[in-house]
Formats: sequence, structure tokens, C-alpha cells
Amino acid sequence: MPSPEPLLELEHVSAGYGGAPVVRDVTLAVSGGEVVGLVGPNGSGKTTLVRVASRALRPEGGSVRVAGRDPYAASGREAARLLAVVPQDIAPAFSFSVLETVLMGRTPYLPAWGGGEPDDWAKARAAMLAASVQHLADRPVEELSGGERQRVVLAQALAQDAPVLVLDEPTTHLDIRHVLDVLSIVRRLAERDGSAVLAVLHDLNLAGAVCDRIVALHRGEVVTDGRPEEVITSGLLRSVYGVEAEVVPDEATGHPTVRLGAIRTTTSVSGRRAHVVGGAGRAAPLIRRLSEAGYDVSVGVLHESDTDATVAERLNLARVSVPAFSAIDPESAAGCARLMRSADVVIVCDVPFGPGNLENLRLALGAAEAGIRTLLLDQVPIAERDFSGGEATALWGQLREIAGVASSYDGLISGLG
Amino acid sequence: MRPGARRYRRVLLVLSVALVGSALLAVSVGAVAISPGSVVRLVVWKLGLGPRPNVSRAAEVIVFQLRLPRVALAMVVGLALAVAGTLFQGLFRNPLADPAIIGVSSGAALGAIAVIVLGGGTVLGGLGVSAAAFVGGLLTAFFVYRLARVGPAVNVATLLLAGIAVAAVISAAMSLFMSFAGEEIRSIYFWLLGGLSSRGWTAIEIVAPLALLGVVGTVALVRDLNLMSLGEERAAQLGVDTARFKRRAVALGALLAGAAVSVSGVIGFVGLMTPHVMRLIVGSDHRRLLPAVLLAGPTFLVLADLVSRVVLAPQELPLGAVTALIGGPFFLVLLRRERRRASAVA
Repeated sequence: MPSPEPLLELEHVSAGYGGAPVVRDVTLAVSGGEVVGLVGPNGSGKTTLVRVASRALRPEGGSVRVAGRDPYAASGREAARLLAVVPQDIAPAFSFSVLETVLMGRTPYLPAWGGGEPDDWAKARAAMLAASVQHLADRPVEELSGGERQRVVLAQALAQDAPVLVLDEPTTHLDIRHVLDVLSIVRRLAERDGSAVLAVLHDLNLAGAVCDRIVALHRGEVVTDGRPEEVITSGLLRSVYGVEAEVVPDEATGHPTVRLGAIRTTTSVSGRRAHVVGGAGRAAPLIRRLSEAGYDVSVGVLHESDTDATVAERLNLARVSVPAFSAIDPESAAGCARLMRSADVVIVCDVPFGPGNLENLRLALGAAEAGIRTLLLDQVPIAERDFSGGEATALWGQLREIAGVASSYDGLISGLG
Repeated sequence: MRPGARRYRRVLLVLSVALVGSALLAVSVGAVAISPGSVVRLVVWKLGLGPRPNVSRAAEVIVFQLRLPRVALAMVVGLALAVAGTLFQGLFRNPLADPAIIGVSSGAALGAIAVIVLGGGTVLGGLGVSAAAFVGGLLTAFFVYRLARVGPAVNVATLLLAGIAVAAVISAAMSLFMSFAGEEIRSIYFWLLGGLSSRGWTAIEIVAPLALLGVVGTVALVRDLNLMSLGEERAAQLGVDTARFKRRAVALGALLAGAAVSVSGVIGFVGLMTPHVMRLIVGSDHRRLLPAVLLAGPTFLVLADLVSRVVLAPQELPLGAVTALIGGPFFLVLLRRERRRASAVA
């Protein structure tokens, strides 16, 4: 359980490097036993905040308290006993063994000369054990792999024995296995020792999985602060990162998970609009490929819970849909007509047509007659998918006369040019 | 494999024996050979611990008035240069830094040359040159440090560049002085190449306390030197007051290098090579490195000075040339060996 008194407190902090402040009016607190993630796009001020918290950058306004003390009023040694930083990596100029490197973490407790008390050795050994680097003790740090070196850095920070731990993108150079190693060590530390952990993380799924709470920064300000599922939303991805992506709860753990397969940027690259008439899942592959090709895609009219409708929803496309098993009402038809008229191309897939969706063919014919470029996907013969008693076949025939025709998805895409 | 504690003690023992042995050898060898046994007995007698040995009065004078002060001066200068090199290599996180790096050597040289050219070479029995060199070295270091300071922060990279730029300007000024020099050019030339001849005990009485002060100050910095090798930001995160560290390291390095240069002229390679080689042998931990450097620096310079005066005796070679001639190839062999070991590991 988090203790009521926060161990790390930033209140109304503004800080920067002489010019305009990089972070403005940031207030955040981390209690003992709590792992708080700090997320945000590049340049949002995460590293600046880490520097403020770790006594490397005096804030221009606001206050910092670490374990109840102002680190800027304390000496460097005193501050290093209260807060330990895990940097991305270390690159020693000279060759040091792992043991020597971890022992450097005890510096804030040691006199200028001398090997240290037995207590310091015990603390260093415990830190090496916690970070699983005890077997590397005599190895020179520069001979280690990136993952091993990162754990050595972690051990060095753990040896500081500080109640507050700040991780500055500790997973940047690591593969997934080592990322999980490092984060589970940190998690355990918070739970067992009641440490307060602030972790700058790039990977939102990782942040959602490992943190109790997440603070999102954007342009130097806190935009949200709350439980992972409250913070990591498609709204955050859109407004802060400028990407459209779906966020779903993980099936096993319930952690918010960004669906990477569905990510796209909010502004289309090509600037071209395509409207797709789909249904029964016939349009799904096409929608995906058009989106990837940079088209701004709209779809409709679809029936809800149709596969094509689900895909469009996940991709957050402009769409018109009506309830399942119901006919297309005039209002939806008008909305869809508008989407078609604003498109550069209208694509009609070879879906089965019946009374419920026959209106789509009339809308497409109207668009084609109005001069909108129209393409038909005609892989399955219309005779096999006409459930309207001939009306669909007639409309399809009219469309074929004025529209381009392709017999496969590939042919269709290449026909777009 | 890391050297264990036992191996480290053995290394220190070997270095100590080498220091005493090389000193004894240097006092014994010369135009008049005096056996090491006689030298030891003379010293024991002088310390009041034994009877006067049966050696000539001339031998006594040679040992106490000529060779011993010279060997002692070589020790102090070697020690000061080696410790200054250790400090600068740690400060700049660069194993190729040496005491000349922030312009101390060239500043000292300029001070000395100015005094020589302006005819002050004999002021205070020759000590005027030393004083000018010492002041010149310290002033240059201070100037470079101020150049690199922006507000309260000193950027180490700027410090390095400022040092190089200032040294270049100073060397131009030295060339100017030398073009105006007449017969003093020989003493300038000898000063620039370094040497320890005929300084007597007075030089040691002045330099030894300065060197001692520098060493004691450096001892207080060893732990911070270790942390600084992780980079300034990381060192600060681990509790090092980096601004104070940089101030002290520059001041101590300038003091040590300035003191050495003021009595011996410019002697290269000792400050560069000694810490580097010792690091290969005892590791990078400055708490182990510093004692080894304290023993190896003096040994190296005593031996180099011995070579400089016996190879073409009675001609003396410039000491700076000898240190480079001995040190350079030795250094290259070590580098190659180290590289081969590194590639064997990788």
C-alpha cells in the first residue's frame, strides 16, 4: 500500500535552460511503494523533469521535495542518499570492474579515502544480487552486453539505498527480456522496501503494464495523471502523440494496450480521399491497404457488427452505419452520399446485395453519374450475390458501364495509380 | 582477471624496490663511480645512524652536493608530473591528457623565456627564472579556466579547447621572444627541452613542499576521480560536487605541473605515460592507481635523467628528449599488447 506521505513531490515546477521554460507548472507526487510512469512524446519535458528531481537543474519556479527535504538546500552527498537515478547507460572513461562500479553507488556514505565499512560491501552485494549481476563481479564493465551493463547501472543505483528511485528511460537499449527483468526488479523493490519509483518510459504498453499510475506530459505540462487505463486512451494518443490508434484492455491482465497494427497518423499523407462501399468483410483488406497507402478512407453505409464496420471503427475512419438487420434510412443515405461526393474515388466491393443494403448501389451510381471516379471490385459474379430479386443485378450492370472494373484487390489498388 | 589484493601489494613492493634501486644506481653512476654500498653507508652516516665510512672527501661531496640533490629533484619532479597527469586524465576523462593540456607548461615556459631574454637569468641565483615560470604556469591555468567558465559552470570540453588555443598563442609568443634572443638562445633551448642539472638543494626546498601540497590535495580527490570517469552528470547523481571538483582538480594540477616545470623546464611524457601504464597494471580505481603513480613517476624520471647524463658523457642530453625516446616506444609496445588483449576478449 502506498504510504500517505509522498516521498517525491514536485509542486508547480517550472524549469528550463535560460530561454522559455521547458516544463511549466508541473505538479506530481510519488508515494512510497508506488511506481509512477512518466510518459510523453520526445521533447515533452520528461528528461528535464528528471533533472529537476535529481538536483541537476534548479527549477525557476515551484518546489521540489525528496523525502520531505529540499534537495537544492542539501549537499550533493545528502541528496544522493535520498534519491537515486538510473540513467540510460554509462560509458566509463576507464576500465572498472562490475564490483568497483556498483561500490561507487555507496559514495554518498563514504569518506574521501578508504575502502568502506563491511556494511557498504553488504549493501553493494545485496544490490548486485537484486539486479542479478553478482556473477559478473570481476568482469570489466566495458566487456558486458548492453543488457548486463544496464543491470549493473541499476545495481549501482540500488546500492545508493535511497528511498526514491528515478529511472530515465532505463529500457532504451534493451531487448524485451531485459526490459522485463529491469522493471520487475524495480516493481519488487517498490513493493518490498516501500521505495517510491518514478520511471520515464517510452513504451506505453510497458507503462500500462508496470505502473500504478501514469503522468502524461505534453509540451512541458501535465495533461493527465491517473491510473493507466485512465491515461492511456486513444484520446491521449490522438491529442498528445498525434496518432490514431485503438486502446483495448489486455485480455489476460486488463492492462490498457495500444494496438500497434491499427496505428496511423491523424493526417493522411497523400491527401487523397477514398470512399469504400463494403459489407460482409469484403472491404476489410481493401480498407487496410488504402489506409496504409496514405488514403483518407471513409466507409458506408455499413451494418453495425459487420466485420468491415469493426475494422473501420478500429481504424477510426469516417463512416456511416445503421443497426444490424435494418434497412438504410434516408438520413444515413444522405450522410453517405456526402462522403461519396467529397471523395476522389468511390470503390464498390463485390458484397452480397439484398433489401438491407441495396441503397448503397443507388448511392454509388449517383456518385458515378455526378462524375466521381468509381471503381468496382467484381471478383464474385453479381448473379451469385443478388438477394434482391434482380434489382441489384440491374444496378450493377448500369454501374459497370460508367465505372472501372477490377477482378482482384491487387488489380483494384494498381488501378488507382 | 582483476589484480587481487595480494597481487596489488606485490606490484607496490616491486615499484618501491625499483624506486630505491634506481635512486641508488643514479647516485652511484657517473664520471666518478661510487659503489652503491658506499652510498648507503654515507647516507646512514649522514643520518647519524652509523660511523663515517671509509670514502674520500671528494666522493662525499659528489654524493651530497651533486648527485643526491639531482636525484631527489628528479624524484620530486617525476612525482609532481605523474600526479598532475593522473588528475588531468581523470578530469578530462581522457587517457591522453597530460600536464600540458591546459597550457600550464607553455605558460611556464613563456614566463621563463621572458625572464631569460630580458636578462633576468641570474636574478636570485637563477631562481628568478623558476619563479617566473611558476607564476606563468599558474596564471595561464587560471586564465584558461576563466575562459571555459560560463556563469557558475565550467564545461570540460571548452576547458580542453581553451587550453589548446591558449597554448598555441603562447607558443607563438615564445617564438617571437626567441627570435629576439641572442646568446641566451642556448639556455632557452635547453630550458624548453628540460633538464635537472646543477639546481642544488635550494630548488628542492622550494618545490618539495609544493609537490607535497599537491599530492595531499589529490589524495582527497581520489574517490571523486573514480566517479567522474562515469561522466559529470552521473558523478553528480552519485553525490559529487562537480563544480568544486573541477576547481580543485585544475588548481592542484596547475600547482603540481607549474612547480615541476619551474625547476626542470618542459619534460614531456612522464605525466602522460605514468598514469596510463600504471592503469594497465593495477586497474583504474584511483585509490589503487595513485600510490602506484607516486612510486612509478619518480622512478621513471630518475632513470631517464641517469640515461641523459651517461649515454654521451660528459655531454648531457636534454631530459625531455630522453623521456620521449624511452617512453614513446615503451608506450607503443604496451598499447599494442593492450589492444591485442582487448580484441582477444571481444
